Amino acid sequence: MNDRLKIIFAIIMPISAVLAVGTTWFVNRIPASRFEMAGSAADEPSELVARGGYVARLSDCVACHSVPGGAAYAGGLKMATPMGAVYTTNITPDRNTGIGSYTLADFDRALRSGVAKDGHRLYPAMPYPSYAKLSDDDVKALYAYFMRGIPAVHQQNRQSTIPWPLNMRWPLAFWNVVFAPSGVYHPDATKDTQWNRGAYIVEGAGHCGACHTPRGLAFNEKGTDSHSAAFVSGALIDGWYAPSLRNTPNTGLGRWSEDDLFRFLKTGRNEHAVVFGSMAEAFNNSTQFFSDDDLRAVAHYLKSLPGDGTREGASWHYEPTQAAAREPAKRQELPGAQTYMAKCSFCHGADGRGQGQWVPPLAGAASSMMQDSSSSINITLNGSGRVVAAGVPDAYRMPSYREQLSDTDIADVLTFIRLSWGNRQSVVFADDVKKLRDQTTPANSSPVILKTH
Amino acid sequence: MELTINGVQHQLEVEPDTPLLWVLRDDLGMTGTKYGCGLAQCGACTVLVDGQAVRSCVTPVENLSGASVTTIEAIEQDDLGKRVVAAWVKYQVPQCGYCQSGQVMAATSLLRQHPHPTDQEIDAVMVNLCRCGTYNAIRAAIHDVCSDPTHGST
Amino acid sequence: MEAAPVNLSRRFFILSSTGAAAGAFVLGIGLPTRQARAQSAQAPTFRGTQVPAFLEIRPDNSIRLQSPFIEGGQGTFTAMAQIVGEELDADPATFIVENAPAGEEYVVMDNGRRVTGGSGSVRRGYLVMRRLGALGREMLLQAGAQHLGVPVSELTTQPGQVIHAASGRAVPYGALAHAAMDLPVPDPANVKLRDPSQFRWIGKPVKRLDIYEKSTGKVEYTVDVRVEGMLHAAVQHAPRLGMTVGPIQNEDQVRQMRGVHSIHRLPGAVAVVAERWWHAKRAVEALLVDWEEAKPGSADAIRIMPAEFSSEEFRQHLARATGQEDDAETKGDVNRALKNAHTVIDATYFSQYVNHAQLEPPSALARYNPDGTLEVWLPTQAPDMFRADMAKRTGLDEAKITIHSPLLGGFFGRHFLYNHATAYPQAILLAKATGRPVKLIWTREEEFLRDVLRPMAVVRFRAGLDAQGRPVALEVVSATEGPTEGGGTKRGKSLDPSALEGLTNKSYDIPDRRIAQLFVRSPVALGYWRSVGNSMNDFLYESFLDELADKGGQDPYELRLHLLRHNKRLTTLLKAVEELSGGWKRGPFTAPDGSRRARGVAMASPFGSEAAAIAEVSVENGRVRVHDIWEAIDPGSIVNPAIVEAQVNGAVALGLSQILLEETVYENGMPRARNYDGYPILTLDRMARVHVKIVESGEKMGGIGEPPLPAIPPAVANAVSTLTGRRIRSMPLSRHEFAR
Ligand code: FES
Ligand code: FES
Repeated sequence: MNDRLKIIFAIIMPISAVLAVGTTWFVNRIPASRFEMAGSAADEPSELVARGGYVARLSDCVACHSVPGGAAYAGGLKMATPMGAVYTTNITPDRNTGIGSYTLADFDRALRSGVAKDGHRLYPAMPYPSYAKLSDDDVKALYAYFMRGIPAVHQQNRQSTIPWPLNMRWPLAFWNVVFAPSGVYHPDATKDTQWNRGAYIVEGAGHCGACHTPRGLAFNEKGTDSHSAAFVSGALIDGWYAPSLRNTPNTGLGRWSEDDLFRFLKTGRNEHAVVFGSMAEAFNNSTQFFSDDDLRAVAHYLKSLPGDGTREGASWHYEPTQAAAREPAKRQELPGAQTYMAKCSFCHGADGRGQGQWVPPLAGAASSMMQDSSSSINITLNGSGRVVAAGVPDAYRMPSYREQLSDTDIADVLTFIRLSWGNRQSVVFADDVKKLRDQTTPANSSPVILKTH
Repeated sequence: MELTINGVQHQLEVEPDTPLLWVLRDDLGMTGTKYGCGLAQCGACTVLVDGQAVRSCVTPVENLSGASVTTIEAIEQDDLGKRVVAAWVKYQVPQCGYCQSGQVMAATSLLRQHPHPTDQEIDAVMVNLCRCGTYNAIRAAIHDVCSDPTHGST
Repeated sequence: MEAAPVNLSRRFFILSSTGAAAGAFVLGIGLPTRQARAQSAQAPTFRGTQVPAFLEIRPDNSIRLQSPFIEGGQGTFTAMAQIVGEELDADPATFIVENAPAGEEYVVMDNGRRVTGGSGSVRRGYLVMRRLGALGREMLLQAGAQHLGVPVSELTTQPGQVIHAASGRAVPYGALAHAAMDLPVPDPANVKLRDPSQFRWIGKPVKRLDIYEKSTGKVEYTVDVRVEGMLHAAVQHAPRLGMTVGPIQNEDQVRQMRGVHSIHRLPGAVAVVAERWWHAKRAVEALLVDWEEAKPGSADAIRIMPAEFSSEEFRQHLARATGQEDDAETKGDVNRALKNAHTVIDATYFSQYVNHAQLEPPSALARYNPDGTLEVWLPTQAPDMFRADMAKRTGLDEAKITIHSPLLGGFFGRHFLYNHATAYPQAILLAKATGRPVKLIWTREEEFLRDVLRPMAVVRFRAGLDAQGRPVALEVVSATEGPTEGGGTKRGKSLDPSALEGLTNKSYDIPDRRIAQLFVRSPVALGYWRSVGNSMNDFLYESFLDELADKGGQDPYELRLHLLRHNKRLTTLLKAVEELSGGWKRGPFTAPDGSRRARGVAMASPFGSEAAAIAEVSVENGRVRVHDIWEAIDPGSIVNPAIVEAQVNGAVALGLSQILLEETVYENGMPRARNYDGYPILTLDRMARVHVKIVESGEKMGGIGEPPLPAIPPAVANAVSTLTGRRIRSMPLSRHEFAR
């Protein structure tokens, strides 16, 4: 996100400067909410609060508005940018430091328009462009949940450390005009209800595009719904490459069935892959809590998104290549082979096929098949955070190899993987490894579960 | 599920993702196979699955139905294994001994596939950790097994 | 107490010199004063003379020996069999050796303690155990006399039997043992020992007794012990020492998990007890605990780990530290000498924190018996101290506590009595709470979280060279805390010798010198690591000595010879290693394989022995490769050359591991590495060829388990400095970038 933020400012500042004077009224105007008359938290029925809790899971609010070991939704998560750090805010019902004084309309404006009660514009790190699609009912439910479903926590928000003039937020008003889709989700009459429910979650509440859709120059998601071929077609974010969720056979979900997808989002694993990187967090705190119907709807919808075969060569099939690596004598001649056999093969198998749903295969894995090698480098350097399914931490996890393997060792072993078993991808360079080595830290070997109450 | 260990079939009541190591140690009481790290880092838990050295702490039993597992308890029932142990004794390899079950299993699988490993091949395959530093003795013992004339026989 | 060389008894010097209060912090337990005095009072009397307590000779002639020293891979059991067998006249191969239970009769060390460590077993047990064997032999002879109805004077022995030459009759020990062990033990004062020239087993490469079992997985370590009705347990420790258990968010949910028997709150930890360890481990990991910050004062027995602690910042803190400097060793007038020196050289070196990383994770099995007695199986280097601690914790009388100590899966100093770094207090609490025997095994992650560390030190050297470029003055100030004073929360009244050993006690002839400690409390709990202070201090000292040689235009080998010119023993030793390595050649030179290489030399005087090492290194793809280590070692005299050679190999491996790879890094109050993935140790492919020369000077017997280690890191560092032209002032080398 860092570079993107910089770009927004780089582009928007000059434009705005020109328009500034005449348009002060515009950038300060408070957008209308459909709940102007609704007033503030009355005594919401408890089932509405409960539904709000579920919508909060769909929307994974906790992921950004809590910190490990911190109180639920009290904010404080640091988002580093080249211009300084931004901290997520306290969204508990505390009147002074949280959103306790928000009316439903105030809440709606922040959620769906990205404008806080005091009128300042939120950074689009808050996925309000996606939340804009939330139904009025879900917004009401969310509001009920945040007003009455969780305890108020008195915790001051931390000021962003971005200096003036970059810290001026009013230019974002223009950004919103250009990029933020307006209006709640409109069902596509040509599709069945399951598909529409899936679309609503993926494009809206679930804000999957926030990570999986490539961004434009101004940090805007290049596509926001099923009509765009760019939508959830894969993107690099915070040192991880969020793979395509479209039906692209090698680097997307082409080879996955709807049921594979369902199990992946519910248990965190299947025979194709195990959640890792940022997706492990999304799984631990969000997707596993979706209802089975919603998970099946998501799977059904995603499987309907056409793939983009032109992005990759022939579709993958297993080839027993590089069996040579099993020959100790030959390993030295084949860069990466020795490292693979000594460090990787015990879990992922000498044949790269992994161990059922417990240890993911590297043969044919999207991460080994995609151009961008960030995810592979990142997980090799740092290992994976714990995957906690139904409250139980995983039996097997990826170790961190940053202390054992040099940048060249890692580049070599990943190149070996990307050229083995039918995987056909470009080589990995030591410099790419070095860059990520400096930017990242080892994953926590203890489970990290964010509190939601 | 059903599991074949050292030629004996066992009926087991375990979750599919249970590591072979703990089935061996706790369910079957075979404690010769050691726990050192549980993360595929040390090799103390090495056993043979269809002759291949495998780290049992990262081997879910689910994937073993139909496979034949050999542990240190049965190492001497195998001619090659017997000679590996003899070489271990001849070179007085173990110190604390904790890593040695795994070392012996790893060496046996190496020698099965490469009756006459070079130093380079030993470096490549013998990647189990030994905190007592018995590495030179391990190397010498492995070379001794290959120099054994009866060696071709297996 | 004798002016001991640098050895374990010196670690306990503080204890005996400052009494029980010190006992409370030295090893984290309070040793009753009375007992301490009682023992030191008995010191002069003969120890280890209750033959029947030690020896059981079975009808089949096999001999069961209760060893006062524990086997952890160093070969002690075999050495004990050799020593006892030599005097008893029985082949060591017929021995079955076990670790003796706790008990005064097995306290054989003159300092009134029973500890396996400080490389003290053989040298401190040598005479006592020989005497024990000789006493046993006399008892067998007397029994033989009664049995054969002939005067003792007509009897002799051959291995395993009593011989009556006149009648050509022979009676195996096994047939006499029963009667013999009922006889009174002869007066140890005038028991006759065998003339060393007649030794058949002592000094010979006798095969170790435990090799076959260890090569076939038959040895039972504590983690393997099973008893009737036993439950398994796993723990999750507080992320930082001193924190306490707060609310558990998902206790009911976890209680429902498969196989879970019960969930327990322990001091600074939560535990799950289950029918299988795997279930206990998964469940305890699942517990979401709101850990509470340590309340200042509440945890006086503990070091509280600050949330912001960083080992790197602590290193800088040590480097800046000022304050009182306590002299540990002074000679002449260092200030004057430095003033008059031709050149003065300053340099700062530092050593890193390191983990023990023994392959066997900590474990303990505790069982309360119906009669109220307590049995504990655990790895221990000091059974009596552990039992005293258990008595203190449980309120049980020591007589009601039985300790079983199976073989150790490596120790390297890990199994002393460290508060909060041992599993048995938890196992005992769990056994009590469940009313069933409980075996607790720490995961590797919990071990890395709670292991005590080898101290960190930043050492400021200041040396004066004369006109010829030779050192004449040396000032050494080490900002550090010793492992003995580092066990608890208070500092001892006297200096902790193990903090500076290796900076002190050097034999080089530098007329004016001052070695001092600048005490800085380390937030991390500290412990003994194989060869203790020497393991780091000899690196610091011997590397700086090479730096001096360079600055003074001296050859490091020649300079050492010069500084030892009045010391025959060390001159001989240094020449021995030089000869072993085929002659001193420092380099850099080009090896037959075309690689550029260099050699380094270093010496050390740890634990009553003397060592000198030469290392040959090259740099391969930016990584240091150590090709050969030549080491000459002089322990005075030895019992088993084969075991000595194995111990040298092991010590070399650990020495290489710490100079090449090892460093414990703390960030935000927690260790960054929780398993071997983040804490690499030496692997086979990086092990060097090792060439050993044993020199028996006949001096007082020294240790062998630890002494070969300290000379290795500096020998390697000095070689690397020569090869790369860059002075190495810190470990590990993986911290330094080398051109590929
Ligand atoms: S215990 Fe399996 S590799 Fe360490
Ligand atoms: S012999 Fe002790 S760890 Fe290998």
